[in-house]
Amino acid sequence: MSDKIASKLEILADAAKYDASCASGTAGKRSPKKGSKEIGSLTGGTGICHSFTPDGRCVSLLKILMTNYCIYDCHYCINRKSSNVKRARFTVQEVVDLTLNFYKRNYIEGLFLSSGIIKDPDYTMESMVRIAKSLRLDHGFRGYIHLKTIPNASPHLQEEAGLYADRLSINIEMPTQESLKTFAPEKQLLDITNSMGRIREKISESKAERKAPKFSPGGQSTQMVIGADSTNDSIILKSSDSLYNKHKLRRVYYSAFSPIPDASKILPLKPAPLIREHRLYQADWLMRFYEFKVDEILQGTDNDMLDLTLDPKMAWALHNRHLFPVDLNKAEKHMLLRVPGLGTKTVAKILYIRKFSSVTWQDLVKLRAPLSKIKAFIIVRDYKPPITLLDSAFLGNQMRQVEQMELFS
Amino acid sequence: MKTVLIQNCPGFEEWRNAARKCLIQNLSPDLILWQDKTSDFQNDLFARISDEKRNCSEKIISIPKAFIEKASVAICYKSEDRFDFLYRLLWRIVYEDKNLLLKINDDDIIQFGRMLKAVYRDAYKIKAYVRFREIIDNDEPLYISWYEPEHYSLEIPLNFFTTRFANMRWVIITPYKAVYWDKMTLRFCNNPDPALFPKEDRFEEYWCTYYASIFNPARVKRQAMLNQMPKKYWKNMPETKLIDGLLKDSRERVNNMFKNQD
Repeated sequence: MSDKIASKLEILADAAKYDASCASGTAGKRSPKKGSKEIGSLTGGTGICHSFTPDGRCVSLLKILMTNYCIYDCHYCINRKSSNVKRARFTVQEVVDLTLNFYKRNYIEGLFLSSGIIKDPDYTMESMVRIAKSLRLDHGFRGYIHLKTIPNASPHLQEEAGLYADRLSINIEMPTQESLKTFAPEKQLLDITNSMGRIREKISESKAERKAPKFSPGGQSTQMVIGADSTNDSIILKSSDSLYNKHKLRRVYYSAFSPIPDASKILPLKPAPLIREHRLYQADWLMRFYEFKVDEILQGTDNDMLDLTLDPKMAWALHNRHLFPVDLNKAEKHMLLRVPGLGTKTVAKILYIRKFSSVTWQDLVKLRAPLSKIKAFIIVRDYKPPITLLDSAFLGNQMRQVEQMELFS
Repeated sequence: MKTVLIQNCPGFEEWRNAARKCLIQNLSPDLILWQDKTSDFQNDLFARISDEKRNCSEKIISIPKAFIEKASVAICYKSEDRFDFLYRLLWRIVYEDKNLLLKINDDDIIQFGRMLKAVYRDAYKIKAYVRFREIIDNDEPLYISWYEPEHYSLEIPLNFFTTRFANMRWVIITPYKAVYWDKMTLRFCNNPDPALFPKEDRFEEYWCTYYASIFNPARVKRQAMLNQMPKKYWKNMPETKLIDGLLKDSRERVNNMFKNQD
């Protein structure tokens, strides 16, 4: 093993770990031609997690920076110009070799390449594109490639990137222009959203014409740093909502600001609580899969911040007790999805059972529904909650305890 | 009492043929003793199912295709009564309710569902956790892996490997069976020698370096890792030897970050 490569890998993987995205799916299916030199496939699902690190995150991709040298000085970033971390830079060939060799040993689904900005945005973007191009054209690599595009890079480079990458992303970093100004003085919100707009257009163009070359078939995603500034959850979720609707993003990742070596003085001393990140993801999920509006999620919250002690769906239900209990044998799907503790899969099973018999308490036991959580909110054929349960002033605290048990089980 | 011996593992084709004959002969599940090669059985108890069609005239038994497809997966579930359970289920489908599979709140269907889920999960973990080591054999790379699945599920994810690594030669060795892909066809071999698995690989240390570096010591969530990657999988994954050390050092690394900011 070459020490040089190992120490570069150490530096440039360490520098990449603050990017939360690990997913490698949703870009459709793909396979190599038999008898060719091609290697790799996309399975069509959400991608395979080939390992898990002790921070609970899935390892699916070789997630590295091309280089952590950077001309920008974004305060939350470990690689900012004024930080004194060790620096390194991979050559095109080194990244290609690592990717292919990891892939052949079944360690990874593909490559997630990001980079600090060297010289200027175009120079950086061009080098990244060369890596993706070499993997695709020189080595017939058919696995997953995610490129983090550089804001302000020329549109033609972004276009070329989209031809080789399965997913493009640009980090929005902070939800407001004001916070960007404080924390990432060289970055402009408008530049970032303009880039997203251009990528979105290219994606829909390529989808509209069947003969057009595929362009970033896995869509685009972005990431926001949470808790480094004072932006509240309401602004964050509204910003995500607009990213999902206006720019058709596949995913918005939330990354709780976490301490970094050699941190900037203007950063808070304390890391943001991971539970806040968790609640934001739950709220994000409610918007995308449970037909919740942002305003509904924030109903009754203090200072537009999500309740850290409760799942946002439970918080909403406790605030809207007049809508419960819900009769699982009669309610429409929309309302079943609003019962805290019932996920989309359980709801689908309940609707299925309803076709040939009526749902009983025993059925819920068999479906392994979380009974202590749902019992106040539902009616089934042989069970009805006592009226006092929903009206009880203690219900909120009971539910908090139930969730605590779940978190630590 | 009839004894049926299934020779192969997981043995779906054999089971299917035997089950069909038993159904035609109207043998209720209580009258059959299913055994595989690991069962303790006495030879004199052993009898092959004969082809005679006893007390039934040419009856046509239709078995739902959905059951056959699912049973071919469920039979990979490692338990002594898997042949018996599947025959009972088949019996109920034929004589009690041909739509039994749709009753997702029936106890047998729930058990069937759990077996399927366990096997699919096991097969998924093969796709995820198989680690190849490279050797040069006949001037060409050959990738070899040793893997211990929880069930007899080696065959289920093979489509994934023959697609993704279509143009590579590879071998996956498990305790009960090995499979070899020569870029054209799959070949199987029973009770392979685990010593065929190479002792080292030239990229494994890079992989471990990557694994250690991508871990964020400021967000330790050991239980979340264990939920997805329980310890039973660790022994064949080279990076897992680092986990204890990473956890032990994480507190100090974070404290140093705070110290340096002051």
